[in-house]
Amino acid sequence: MKERTPLVIVHVTVALLAAGFWVAQNVNLMPAEASTRAALVDQLFRAMLGLAAVIFLLVEGLLLYSVLRFRRPRGDEGDAVPVHGNRALEIVWTVIPALIVVVIGFYSFRVLAASETREADPIVVNVNSRQFSWSFEYPAEGVTSTDLHLPLGRQARFLITSADVIHSFWVPEFRVKRDATPGQIAELLVTPSRLGTYPVRCAELCGVGHASMGLTSQVVVESPDDFQRWVEQTRALSGDPVTAFNTLGCNGCHTLAAAGAIGVVGPALDGIGQRAASTVPGQDAATYIRTSMVKPGDHVVPGFADNVMPRDFAQRLATEQLQAMVDFLMAQ
Amino acid sequence: MTSHSITHEDEFRAGRELSLDHRKLGMWLFLASEVMFFGGLIGTFLHYKATVPSPESAELDTVLVGINTFILVTSSLMVVLGLDSIRRGNRRGLLTYLGLTALLGAVFLGGQGYEFVSLYGHGITLTSSVFGSSFFTLTGFHGLHVLIGVAWALLTLGKALRGKYSAEDHVGVEAFGLYWHFVDIVWIVLFTIIYLI
Amino acid sequence: MTSESIAAKPVPAWRRYFGWSTDHKVIGLQYLVTSFFFFLVGGAMAGMIRTQLLAPDSTLVSAEAYNRLTTNHGSVMLFLWILPVLAGLGNYLIPLQIGARDMAFPRLNALSFWLLVPSGLLMLASFFVGAAEAGWTAYVPLSVAGPDGQTLWAISVVLLGTSSMMGSINFVTTIFTMRTAGMTFWRMPLFTWSMLATSILVLTATPVLTAGLVLIAMDRLVGTLFFSVSAGGDPILWQNLFWFYSHPAVYIMVLPAMGAISEIFPVFSRKPVFGYKMIAFSSLAISLLGLTVWAHHMFTSGMDPRLRVPYMISTMIIAVPTGVKIFSWLATIWGGKLRLDTPMLFALGFISMFLIGGITGVFLAAIPIDLHVHDTYFVVAHLHFVLFGGSVSGAYAALYYWYPKITGRRLDERLGKVHFAANFIGTNLAYLPMFLAGLLGMPRRVVNYDPRFTELNQLASLGAFLLAASVLPFLYNVIVSWVSGPKAGDNPWQAKTLEWKTTSPPPAHNFDMPPVVTEGPYDYGEAAQGSLTPSPSAAGD
Repeated sequence: MKERTPLVIVHVTVALLAAGFWVAQNVNLMPAEASTRAALVDQLFRAMLGLAAVIFLLVEGLLLYSVLRFRRPRGDEGDAVPVHGNRALEIVWTVIPALIVVVIGFYSFRVLAASETREADPIVVNVNSRQFSWSFEYPAEGVTSTDLHLPLGRQARFLITSADVIHSFWVPEFRVKRDATPGQIAELLVTPSRLGTYPVRCAELCGVGHASMGLTSQVVVESPDDFQRWVEQTRALSGDPVTAFNTLGCNGCHTLAAAGAIGVVGPALDGIGQRAASTVPGQDAATYIRTSMVKPGDHVVPGFADNVMPRDFAQRLATEQLQAMVDFLMAQ
Repeated sequence: MTSHSITHEDEFRAGRELSLDHRKLGMWLFLASEVMFFGGLIGTFLHYKATVPSPESAELDTVLVGINTFILVTSSLMVVLGLDSIRRGNRRGLLTYLGLTALLGAVFLGGQGYEFVSLYGHGITLTSSVFGSSFFTLTGFHGLHVLIGVAWALLTLGKALRGKYSAEDHVGVEAFGLYWHFVDIVWIVLFTIIYLI
Repeated sequence: MTSESIAAKPVPAWRRYFGWSTDHKVIGLQYLVTSFFFFLVGGAMAGMIRTQLLAPDSTLVSAEAYNRLTTNHGSVMLFLWILPVLAGLGNYLIPLQIGARDMAFPRLNALSFWLLVPSGLLMLASFFVGAAEAGWTAYVPLSVAGPDGQTLWAISVVLLGTSSMMGSINFVTTIFTMRTAGMTFWRMPLFTWSMLATSILVLTATPVLTAGLVLIAMDRLVGTLFFSVSAGGDPILWQNLFWFYSHPAVYIMVLPAMGAISEIFPVFSRKPVFGYKMIAFSSLAISLLGLTVWAHHMFTSGMDPRLRVPYMISTMIIAVPTGVKIFSWLATIWGGKLRLDTPMLFALGFISMFLIGGITGVFLAAIPIDLHVHDTYFVVAHLHFVLFGGSVSGAYAALYYWYPKITGRRLDERLGKVHFAANFIGTNLAYLPMFLAGLLGMPRRVVNYDPRFTELNQLASLGAFLLAASVLPFLYNVIVSWVSGPKAGDNPWQAKTLEWKTTSPPPAHNFDMPPVVTEGPYDYGEAAQGSLTPSPSAAGD
């Protein structure tokens, strides 16, 4: 029995390593890789998954084997042969995991360093989050949008913040997220590597609209030419109330067919132009709409919560912008 | 039902072998947790001291509070002397020094109250700024601990008056002493980080 | 010194459990029953959550109610179930395991239980004034602005922390000063060792959370500006104060469970524990290392990027003492004569499921991976594998193992096996799909989700409902066996730790004669030399 043991150990080890390699090569649990750092992360993940498979099969295997092989024989009420420890074995199973940890740590560090290397001439995007929508501002291009358009292959330098509570900007296909903390600006570097449209999700509980926050935005990775075209189109539309409705974040909470908005945190705005005149007695339609934008607490529509709608639109909007929005909503 | 005797000495033999009195050990453990509590508040104060400008901190009266610090340190000396007294069986000494501890502790609190009122007069309050919030919370909790300490000193004094302590058994005084020294040491740290640096 | 004579109280036994008692056994049982009640409350909340998540766009529960459910599910399970049930086991067992009559501070002990009850009720009462809805993590500024229940929540957690610290002062003092003659530290049972390691964390880390909660409470109640961003307040400060406690908290929640299964393996293998000293040391190592890793919860927070790496390293290092335990347990059962009774099944299930939780913890420690899976269902899966697959399985193992000692009755083995099977299958079914959902893009704490995650959520909900059902055979077993189960006798498992050397249940004073210890707690297979001084069983106790 004792002569066979080294052979058994060798066979088991080889089998485990083979299983680990197979898992690392073939098991893909991640969504599409759409950034250069995603590729690095996925390699690290698959390597760790292979290693995890080895450890998992080893421990579970030993457990299962023991349960089957070492069951108390019927009628045997005695004790087993006492073994209190084995210095060599204890050293081995302390040192080997320690080495594994060192290797994983080092590899992780390398991936991290490679992921966060600055490239020349990144495209800068200010990610402004608020309850409950995203707004992407391109200072160099002079446009703001609720959708995040990015040119393929050029590093994007995100400067992320929040106007109210902590949110978290996450694009799963990019494999990275960064918290949006009020009063602070967090930098995030991502180089998109795959054309396509991807979801953006809020990954920090931020209130009642947390789950719906990503519904109104998406990430569009496109060719540099398409990106340029989009910039020009967006610039042309920047006075347009529908664009303003979305970039101001109204779409995060309200439904409005004309703007393609499907928010459910606040009252639906389709038909508001018809209802506005009769909602608050004595208030005409335009006054009601304006008041509900700048002093939302004055009248809360039954069934909806107070203290959710931002109260700073009077400061954020120029007089003409506010008037344009009122006129726009009057026509809905 | 069976009834039997287990003496106190037997129960705590393991502690005696390690030279640990269980009541003092309990106090040390409690004080360890208190150190961590103040650590959280101190960390908060230092973090904001480093990140949020606080010009209003120029209104802090370092001289007055420095004298107050000296008073609190002296009160710790009184505890040491009181403990020394009872170790030699000198009950009167213990009573005197406990009384002085409580008195000096009360004077310290008075001094703190004066500093608080003066700062409020300058518009520096619990809610006026981040500095105000962290200053008053930190020193306020310390003051609360001093107040509890003064009450404890008086309770210990009362027990001493009733003859509860002797040269052989004065663990209660030692436990109080540990608490009082802790409150004092915390203050030295606070005074340093708030007033001196 | 006057000697204390201990006479039994002429009060009907069951009534002592509803009032103030300084007997650690009564207090321990009070903890166990109370915390199990809260387990059911937290479980009901989980049931509602998983029902809501059966469909991607369900409107069964409003977003506001959902945030309150998830917040309180987490808070109740952590603060009112896991922490107290393990403290309750510690309370019941430590004096018995070290041969003492009671805890060092019996009245403080009673106080720590009686703090638990109103604190728990306070947390539940918060639902009447608008329950806390910012997650059990209560990040600011969201939690500063929340409904009134958030303040009640904060006060409740402060009180619970205080209760916890009182308990630990008792545990440490008792262990150091009240071990019976011959009970050196190296002859102490591993469960007691684990309570020592746990108590270090409780006393060091809990007060920091208390400080943070005080700051939130003051911002809410008095108008201080600690977390007011416009005044210069820093939301990250809260995260540091919170996680400084809440990371060690997870070790507080698992070390005693590991201690319990360290007791069970030698008994049910009829073999000594393999590597006793290393297991004891590994508990201390996990405890101390556990204080250095908290910022691994903050890798995405925007913290200084250079500071992240040391936390990654310290976090990964904890895998080493954890591995030592797992391998030592395997070596304990290897070559043994295994008795697959219910406590042993739950202990084996613990290894099996905690392994998954532990391995995925190393994934989370790797910063590049964490940046993707932080705050997603990957984390929810990980935490439930370690807490449910780990701590709860360990708690069940402990309850099945020590039930005969506590009640004097045996639990039904068949019901126990049914419970185990449902628990094991339910846990895996509920939480394995969540790993995948997180990797594919499902964030945490979402009332609705992208339809692509529907099947994974439905599987998870199915597992959750199975887990809910699994409690029924357990409850039935516990109640019926207590009333009419077969008598257990002093030592139904033929174990060697001191609690089994007295009657089941033990008399009020635990041991008729203070035991004298001359051998280790797991010396199976040795010739009986100098075994423990036998204590005569008191008749009809």
